[in-house]
Amino acid sequence: MRSIGRSFLLVVLALFPRVASAQGDFEWHVPAGLEEQRVRIPKDNPMTQGKVDLGKQLFFDPRLSRDNTISCASCHDPRHGWSNGQRFATGVRGQVGGRSAPTIINAGYLNGGIVKFTKQLQFWDGRAVELEGQALGPIQNPIEMDMTLPEVVSRLNGIEGYRSQFQQVFGTDVTSEGMEKAIAAFERTVLSGDAPFDRLKAGDESALSEAARRGMSVFFNKAHCSACHTGGNFADGGFHNVGIGMDQDEPDPGRYSQTKLQGDFGSFKTPTLREIARTAPYMHDGRLGTLEEVIDFYDKGGIPNPQLDEEMRLLKLTGQEKADLVIFLQEGLSSASYPDTMPPTLPE
Amino acid sequence: MFRLPLTATVIFALSIVSATQAGEIVLDGLKNPSGIAVQPETGVVFVSDSAAGRIVRLVEGSAEEVITGSSGDTYGKGPKYTIGPMGLAFLAENRLVVADSGFPDGEEYLRVFEVPPAGAAALGYDDCTKVGPLAATDSVKAEGNFYAVAATEAALYVTCNGDDTKGWISKSDITGASFGELARFIASKEATEVDAPVAITISPRGELVVGQMGEITVPSDGLLTFYNARDGKLLYNQPTGLHDITALAYSPRGHLYALDFAWNDPSQGGLFRLDNDGEGGVNAVKIKSLDKPTAMAFGSEGALYITLIGSVEEGQEVGAGQLLRLKPGL
Repeated sequence: MRSIGRSFLLVVLALFPRVASAQGDFEWHVPAGLEEQRVRIPKDNPMTQGKVDLGKQLFFDPRLSRDNTISCASCHDPRHGWSNGQRFATGVRGQVGGRSAPTIINAGYLNGGIVKFTKQLQFWDGRAVELEGQALGPIQNPIEMDMTLPEVVSRLNGIEGYRSQFQQVFGTDVTSEGMEKAIAAFERTVLSGDAPFDRLKAGDESALSEAARRGMSVFFNKAHCSACHTGGNFADGGFHNVGIGMDQDEPDPGRYSQTKLQGDFGSFKTPTLREIARTAPYMHDGRLGTLEEVIDFYDKGGIPNPQLDEEMRLLKLTGQEKADLVIFLQEGLSSASYPDTMPPTLPE
Repeated sequence: MFRLPLTATVIFALSIVSATQAGEIVLDGLKNPSGIAVQPETGVVFVSDSAAGRIVRLVEGSAEEVITGSSGDTYGKGPKYTIGPMGLAFLAENRLVVADSGFPDGEEYLRVFEVPPAGAAALGYDDCTKVGPLAATDSVKAEGNFYAVAATEAALYVTCNGDDTKGWISKSDITGASFGELARFIASKEATEVDAPVAITISPRGELVVGQMGEITVPSDGLLTFYNARDGKLLYNQPTGLHDITALAYSPRGHLYALDFAWNDPSQGGLFRLDNDGEGGVNAVKIKSLDKPTAMAFGSEGALYITLIGSVEEGQEVGAGQLLRLKPGL
């Protein structure tokens, strides 16, 4: 069997040419380990510093919700790995959803597929296309932020600080289209890479501890994690049924709700593993609180059901292999340059 | 520098004429047919009637059984397909290679049959020389679901769908009438970061040409790749925009064609010509819409034979499969 050394070399070669990108007056750094061309920017929504700043304010502003209590950042909090640290997403009036809040780290990164052809699907069930298609969904969801677009546009147009910024960025008063573009532009900047794993691939033999290196070998071989958690963002862009929730009376249909293909029943989008140590609890319903529980779940082959992914099987990992795998996930995929964004001053 | 052995983006008048033909159904009632090979010398077309667990040949417009008795396995999670033997390739006039997909991973073989003359009794499924299997090791999953086979004088190559972390193309060296151990040869997923090698053929220059199907839940991720057949080195890797490539074949005129199954939206599937886009990439030109195409081969007269699974209601008995013939000229 070939070692992963060859693929390492290919990735190393791919890493060096890319460090920074500029568009308009906006400059950003695409971290090592991520392919710059996979952070796609729609032609009709170019990045500008003013737009990213505006999107950041909108992202952190609870005035986008019915009772002024919930912002995007309430469920996608940088202090909790851009998730919320809870099992489920909680919206206005304390309403609790049925799925966990996925991290938005690298949400603008195309996982799997072909840059030229493939659209990035958002949400656990892939019901939205690209970040622009996702950005306004939670604002209108009655158990999340519970606003209509006319209501939120009207409210924001009453805030002079927003109206003037929209004029500067888009040449209009506040519009839902502008909100969508600004929020998406900000979300596109939330990137994580340049982790010890990436530095090892780039040739730094001291980047990972011995235990983490053993865990990396388990990850790419015996544990079959890389069947789905693949590529620069450790996610294949696909949807898989690992059995979570399939033991309930009425399982969440997941991707099936969009495609109506029986094979998609109970399938959910493969999440990134970047910064996984910060994003607990895990799985689409947040039922597993620790990485140890997650690995035990996979070691047992998931929960049997007719649509269980073919990669799910009894792994028979030893205790040492499980421990090493946890160390690899925690140590290897956590970046010193984690995007620990502080909330901005909101406009008045 | 690798030069792509595809024709330039010049569309010949004859190709356009061929592209508009409806095609002739030469066999129907097949059950998930998934492989085609054309017998050297005779030009007789052999088809793997996969869910029926048999290999048939086209004789005077009818299917004649040549090999029978493969067990079946289930592929997919809904829609689900019963599959048995899949890929086919001739090594000599009567020496036919059949790729197993009807057994559990780790228990599947490449089977080499000496096919009897037309009219003779069918062979049993074990009346063959077996090459393989590829068993599990402590760190590598057992291999199976052998999709498609390609052969040179020196080796057999088969695309595998057992270990999704690596996406193996396996190889057995040929020495005279003997076959070497079936061994994992190219980790195509490591080479391309895309899942599932499925289609395989040999280029006019002798390279391995592989269609990487990709993740079936991810649209448009199909790749066209070329490898050195001797050392497995990746020579070329380009996106095609196709969803789920199931077969590749060079026409007598040197054009490369691909079949796209388009798992998530079969209405987008069909026969495509893969042209050089003039910039080193691939331009996939749709020639004909087809209902779940699985395999193809050019006949000795230049006609193109294609197997189609066709459509039946979920849960109904299979049997909508067809063998389609497109006239020479592609």
